[in-house]
Parts: sequence; C-alpha cells; structure tokens
Amino acid sequence: MDLKTNQHEVTAWVNDYSDILYGYVVQRVSDTDTAKDLLQETFLAAWRNVDKYNGDASVKTWLFTIPKNKIIDHYRKISTMHTEELANGDNGNDSYYFDSTCHWTEETYPSEWGNLPLESKEFYAILNKGIKKLKEVQAAVFTMKYFDDMESEEICKVLNITSSNYWVLVHRAKVQLRAYLEVNWLVH
Amino acid sequence: MSISCKQATDYISKKEEGKITILQRYQLWRHLSECYLCKRFNKQNKQIHTCVKEHTYQEHQIELPQDDKNSILMALQNTEKG
Repeated sequence: MDLKTNQHEVTAWVNDYSDILYGYVVQRVSDTDTAKDLLQETFLAAWRNVDKYNGDASVKTWLFTIPKNKIIDHYRKISTMHTEELANGDNGNDSYYFDSTCHWTEETYPSEWGNLPLESKEFYAILNKGIKKLKEVQAAVFTMKYFDDMESEEICKVLNITSSNYWVLVHRAKVQLRAYLEVNWLVH
Repeated sequence: MSISCKQATDYISKKEEGKITILQRYQLWRHLSECYLCKRFNKQNKQIHTCVKEHTYQEHQIELPQDDKNSILMALQNTEKG
C-alpha cells in the first residue's frame, strides 16, 4: 500500500471506530480530556504502524490493542504521582466508614438492597459515575481488576505497589462504591 | 478470635480472589453469621461484581464529538509517517 492509500485507510478508521474506542477508553480513564488525548495517540500510533497491520486480526481487534497499552501506561503514571501517599498507607476516609473499633459507623450501615437492575442504562451511568468518584489509583485498580480481569500480581506490577497496598486500595474502592450506589441509585 | 467489620470486608475481597487462609475463612464465616451489616455488604459486593462483569461484556459506543474527530484527522494529516 502506498502512503496515500494508508492515510486514506486510517482516516476511514477514525470515522468507523472512534466512537467505540472512545467508549472503551472513557470507561477506563476518569478524565474525558485525558481519554480524548489517549484516543488521538491511538490513531497516531495506528497511522505510524499501519504497515504492521497484516489483516490477520480484524481492524477493530488490532486497533483495540493500542489503547489497552496506552491505558496501562496512564495508570503507571498515576501511580508514580501518588507514590508517597501509597507508601504512607494514607488513611483515606476509613474513619468515615469504620469507627475506632473498626465496626461500621452508624451513618454508613449498609441498608437492604433489592436486585440490581442489570439491564438498566441509568444504573450503569450511576455505576460509572461512582467509579469516577474514586481516587484515581483506586479507580485504576478497580478497572484493571473488574473490567479487564487482571490478576492482582499483574496489577501490583503495573502500579509498582505491594500486595498490602493493593488490598487497601481494593477494600476502599469497594466500600466507597457500594456506599455511592446506595445513596445515588436506591434513592431513585 | 473474632474479627472486626473492617477486617471482614477486607477478607471478603481476599476470598473473592482465593487469597484467604483457612483461619481467615473461618473467621469470616463466623463474623458473617453474626453481623447482618457485613452479610449485606458481602451480598451487595457480589451483586456489584456481577453487574460490572455484565457491563464490561457489552461494547459501549460513546459518540466522540465531531470537533474531536476533526482534530484527530488533522493531527493525522500533519504527522509524517515513520
């Protein structure tokens, strides 16, 4: 393929796949500007590497490998920015949820839920919002663990954290997200 | 030896990944049989987990504003190949 054909091809990919790739990135990166940057970098990388695309996988599959790696790099950066906080064990807002004897504080007693509406778009919008409310590192852990099914060892490696850091992050993310859903979904 | 709610919620996450010792598993079981709040947390945690899984399997198309598409296209045109 000559350069012109290549460029034409990648341009067509932007029209065909940017929405779906954007959906993928925005679900994993809390800030929309960062998501847009990552998306642009994705297409630029596709353009630079278009010769390597040999048609074995579908264009879509091939394109998806690019933001996957870029998102992991982004998480790595976030973690570096919070190294000190992570090393200090940062008490977060644990005391809001658990009292001095480490039992639930009265205002955060989990209430009874019915079934969650698996089909409801509105629910998922709230879930996503809840994830975005987490601290960046917590959200990164949560996303890798639940969206991308990564093993904890792998997550620790990406973020360069210890397994005890990891458990603290998972724990806080869960407690907070549950509380967020309770307040924002169940009152509807 | 009983554990606190904070520990119990932590063990729930560890159990989910199969990273819990036999003693911790027993302590968690004991705690959950006595504490209705953590029992709720445990159940809701599983519900959230299921929802997130369900959600991830679907593809989510989010419309990228045309302006942003244009700026990607412009960036492509201005980037030298290789």
